[in-house]
Amino acid sequence: MTRHAYCLAVLFLLLPVLLRAAEPVEVLVQGAERLEVGEIVAALEQPQKLMIGPFSFWTGRIGGHRIAVQLTGQALLNCTTSTILGIEEFSPKLIINQGTSGAQAPYLTVHDIIIGRRALDYSGFVTPVRAAGQGSAPLSWTPVPQRLRDPATGKLVTYPDGFAGDPAALAIALRTRNSMGRVFAGVIGSANEVNLELDRVRWSHQVFGMDVEEMESGVVAVVAHAYGIRYIAFRVVSDAPYEGVQFIPQAARATGLFTVRFLENLPPL
Amino acid sequence: MVLSPPKVRLVLFLLLAVLVARAESASGPILFAAATDAELRPLIAKLDGPVTESRAAWQFWLGSIDGKKVVLIRTEGDPLNAVAATTLAIRRYHPQLVVTYGLARAHDPALLPGDVVVSEKFAAFDGMESDVIPLDGGSAPLTWSRLQHKLATAGEKETPTDFFPADAQALGRAKTITLAHGRIIAGVPGSANQVNREADRVAWIHEKWGTSCEDGESAHIAGCAQLLGVPVIGLRVIDGTESTAATVALQFLEAAK
Repeated sequence: MTRHAYCLAVLFLLLPVLLRAAEPVEVLVQGAERLEVGEIVAALEQPQKLMIGPFSFWTGRIGGHRIAVQLTGQALLNCTTSTILGIEEFSPKLIINQGTSGAQAPYLTVHDIIIGRRALDYSGFVTPVRAAGQGSAPLSWTPVPQRLRDPATGKLVTYPDGFAGDPAALAIALRTRNSMGRVFAGVIGSANEVNLELDRVRWSHQVFGMDVEEMESGVVAVVAHAYGIRYIAFRVVSDAPYEGVQFIPQAARATGLFTVRFLENLPPL
Repeated sequence: MVLSPPKVRLVLFLLLAVLVARAESASGPILFAAATDAELRPLIAKLDGPVTESRAAWQFWLGSIDGKKVVLIRTEGDPLNAVAATTLAIRRYHPQLVVTYGLARAHDPALLPGDVVVSEKFAAFDGMESDVIPLDGGSAPLTWSRLQHKLATAGEKETPTDFFPADAQALGRAKTITLAHGRIIAGVPGSANQVNREADRVAWIHEKWGTSCEDGESAHIAGCAQLLGVPVIGLRVIDGTESTAATVALQFLEAAK
């Protein structure tokens, strides 16, 4: 075998190890679906694609920052798995989770963007005991907040309010233009749920302070906190149950364009 | 096309490399995932050459039990911590099999305390979609629809999925476990970050997803294992004790090759 062939073979054997040590990025930008990452991938300078397991990533530059754009897949299962893989691969300094959401407050309308001053996973609950025939009453369920172990103390810590967005990123986002609607700081709640019962929508606004619901931001907030990585979420209103507006997937374009402008406004990290 | 001898040797070498890589994954450790220290302690106590590692909020115990390489993780009993710890353990240690073990509450009325549900498949029953009901119209949870898990799939695709498969060979092995009290029942462990104590809702979940029992993590661990291409098996003791669950896990390991 020639030396060249040996080198190729050794490279092949080492490929998984080499792939594991990708060049770090400053910002990991996430979207759950193709429409949610399309504008951002299109804005990447010198884009390069790679796969980790079933998840696609595109690296490149926007606004001078080295970026990895990640398709996380929907909801906790996909998103937790892919966020861990993205962090381990790229060691980002800031994570942005962005995409579409359902309004949980009547002041919001389609194409408004909520910047997460706080994000939480609100999917946990304990029901009261009810015998057969006594029905089910979701508005009486007791929320179970997310817990995370503090490695310094070894104790489980409960986060009933979720996790605050990075203050510096929040301030920059509030100065960034949304060409399709308004921009507000607010609370983003995540669960693998689509809630169209307005009493339950009102309940989630009253109990958790949620302005919008979706499936990922609160999940990523937990993981980012566990790693001590700065984090912010942007969510465009794509469905507004108070107005009877059902899901408009194309609204994703608004947060995509907004995220690109945010990255252009973002100073070096 | 005729390959020159060096090219033939290169092709053979690459084939060998692929075979070696496959063999390595088949000889990887068995990953045991449990919710709490109480379920893990009996396994940790049996570790030969124990090593503890951690990453962010999650901890890993490595070693051997009766000459078999194992990794133990604590899932904290909720889907998010469970999926995070499982993802990290799969990435770091390349296990040949994931075993999710612990306690569960029955959904199937035929199950009795002390029975052990071994997974034929898993159902993560957290996904729901409601119909439109106007303000002050209340909530009608027994009319909600099941929302599928859209598993990320290579090529920027989604695969809508109701159930995550269990490994058939591991299931066969699990069925050979003998219990002092209770039965081994092949079934469907379900999980969500929920404690369901409304009998009508439990019956609704059982009907919609075919769940045998519920816990806070098992099906999410199975979904994570499926995303990352690792076989998985579940062992859940109905209304049992943590030490019983650990005993069942150790019996499973003993039955492993």
